[in-house]
Amino acid sequence: MSTVIEQIEQQIALLSSKAVKKNTGTIRSVADGVAKVDGLSDVMYNEMVQFPGNAIGIALNLEEDEVGCVVLGDVAGLKEGDEVQTTGRLLSVPVGKMLLGRVVDALGRPLDGKGPIEAKESYPVEKIAPGIIVRKGVTQPVLTGIMAIDSMIPIGRGQRELIIGDRGTGKTTIAIDTIINQARINRLGLASKDPAFRPLYSIYVAVGQKQSNIARTIATLEAAGAMEYTVIVAAPAADNPANQYVAPYAGAAMGEWFMENNLDALIVYDDLSKHAVAYRQISLILKRPSGREAYPGDVFYLHSRLLERSARLAGKGSLTALPIIETLAGDVSAYIPTNVISITDGQIYLETDLFNQGVRPAVSVGLSVSRVGSSAQLKMTKQVAGKLKGELAQFRELAAFAQFGSDLDARTKAQLDRGSRIVELFKQPAFNPIPIEVQAAVLWAMQNNYFDPIDVKKIVDSANHLREFLTTRKSALLGSLREKAAIDDTLNAELKKALEEWKSSLAA
Amino acid sequence: MRVSKQSQQFARQLFRLSLAEGQVSPERVDGVLAHLAAHPPRQPLAVLRHYHRLIAVQLAKNRALVEHAGVINDGILRAIEATFTQKYRRPVGAAARPDPRLIAGLRIRIGDDVYESSVAAQLTTLSLSL
Repeated sequence: MSTVIEQIEQQIALLSSKAVKKNTGTIRSVADGVAKVDGLSDVMYNEMVQFPGNAIGIALNLEEDEVGCVVLGDVAGLKEGDEVQTTGRLLSVPVGKMLLGRVVDALGRPLDGKGPIEAKESYPVEKIAPGIIVRKGVTQPVLTGIMAIDSMIPIGRGQRELIIGDRGTGKTTIAIDTIINQARINRLGLASKDPAFRPLYSIYVAVGQKQSNIARTIATLEAAGAMEYTVIVAAPAADNPANQYVAPYAGAAMGEWFMENNLDALIVYDDLSKHAVAYRQISLILKRPSGREAYPGDVFYLHSRLLERSARLAGKGSLTALPIIETLAGDVSAYIPTNVISITDGQIYLETDLFNQGVRPAVSVGLSVSRVGSSAQLKMTKQVAGKLKGELAQFRELAAFAQFGSDLDARTKAQLDRGSRIVELFKQPAFNPIPIEVQAAVLWAMQNNYFDPIDVKKIVDSANHLREFLTTRKSALLGSLREKAAIDDTLNAELKKALEEWKSSLAA
Repeated sequence: MRVSKQSQQFARQLFRLSLAEGQVSPERVDGVLAHLAAHPPRQPLAVLRHYHRLIAVQLAKNRALVEHAGVINDGILRAIEATFTQKYRRPVGAAARPDPRLIAGLRIRIGDDVYESSVAAQLTTLSLSL
């Protein structure tokens, strides 16, 4: 018992007897998560302020005789006349590997009931993006495990690739598939003890989503064994708009830690439309002038300063961003979608019509693009998928033309046949990413006409059969493909031999 | 009551007119009030309330409110006045107010700034650090 007393006495002795200076203010009004505060004459822009009851706020509006603060936490306990203090600190969140496998809120506090997070470091939520000189070109791939994306819209480490589409078109599924695929690659890579292997950690930021959807995503990641490489930052729809506003920046700070420490990370912002809506709500309550669609004038800067933080740094790691935008009735020319399209290095556009036709993932190849191009693609993928986008574009053109004429020449028919086969080949169930070597082998089979004799309706089943055949019976060939990452003459011959074997097994 | 921007701006203008060498001048305040009585603006109550707030904030900058637990003598108050007059480079007058919740020590408020040297504050810090 005496040791406890001694400990407290030591703690008391540590406390300085000198006077402590605080800059204070008084709450004038609280409404919708925003407090107007009198005083706080020394406060800085974006500084953390301390409200009674351990609530934290951020000073966002510095006016002549009052300060507008967003409150991150429960505002129910705050009332007019309460004292507010400056802290002299910017809002920071815990960072590091200790966060992997955890679900945290916008301030990095655990939500999963797995105990406190023992993080040694914390990073400021708002940080200036890396400059031009320290950046490096995007050349290393991020493999999503989705054939249509890896072959035609390659994503590289450090890239910002937007996932855009209407509600219910599979935007989140693509992001979750990518996270699951990274976990699978990480497990294989770390088990191989290859010193050159660079694992890719994932951060999933859920903004303004239903709690049930977030719970489902967590369950999916846990079931796929991806949680051990993933951090989830949750600011659900029930959270106040200030938390929804801060959450993507908090996620970016967590991702920056990986980047600064020579590691690679992937961050998914799901979604930035709801983030913009939360910011609009805050701005309107703060009485900032509103512009188009009632968004404030700095809504472009809201997203540009966030997405510019994703980069590949020379001599360090990378942070790849997959922001998600939800469109209304396929309108990509709305304010927020056009803003984010112009900030990112490409977009994956998902179409409702394709989704309803059963083309899943419903990637619209014509409207989707990766501005990094094939520089972030493995050589084997380039070898087998180099012409695919062109072939599909030709197919779409001919398909539209074929609707008006019944008599088609043999060459056109062949092109239409091939196109419809490629479309079928790219159909893939959710949460089932395909390893890149299997993708390459399947596409090699398509390029070498192994799917031509098969009826279009049976392509999906045949492709599944081929993938199973390769995985179970040709693992050595897949291993060589993975290792070499290019198809040379030897592998070409081996692939031919394996495919002939598969063909005969299929016929049998 | 919703105060319009124009009313706030007008109150700020009146406040600036009430200052002489950076300090609130009672004569000028009298003049402003007389003018307002003779020429009432739109939203007179809102203007006056905002003006009152601005003047109160300015006056608080020149007053050190010394909250204390225990005895405090005039000498200490004069020393506090001298110290803060030098620190803020403006005349600061001290006024004492007993507050037994502090347990022991002082808390001095000058405008928005609070100088805390009380046992109650140290115990609060201690409880938060445990």
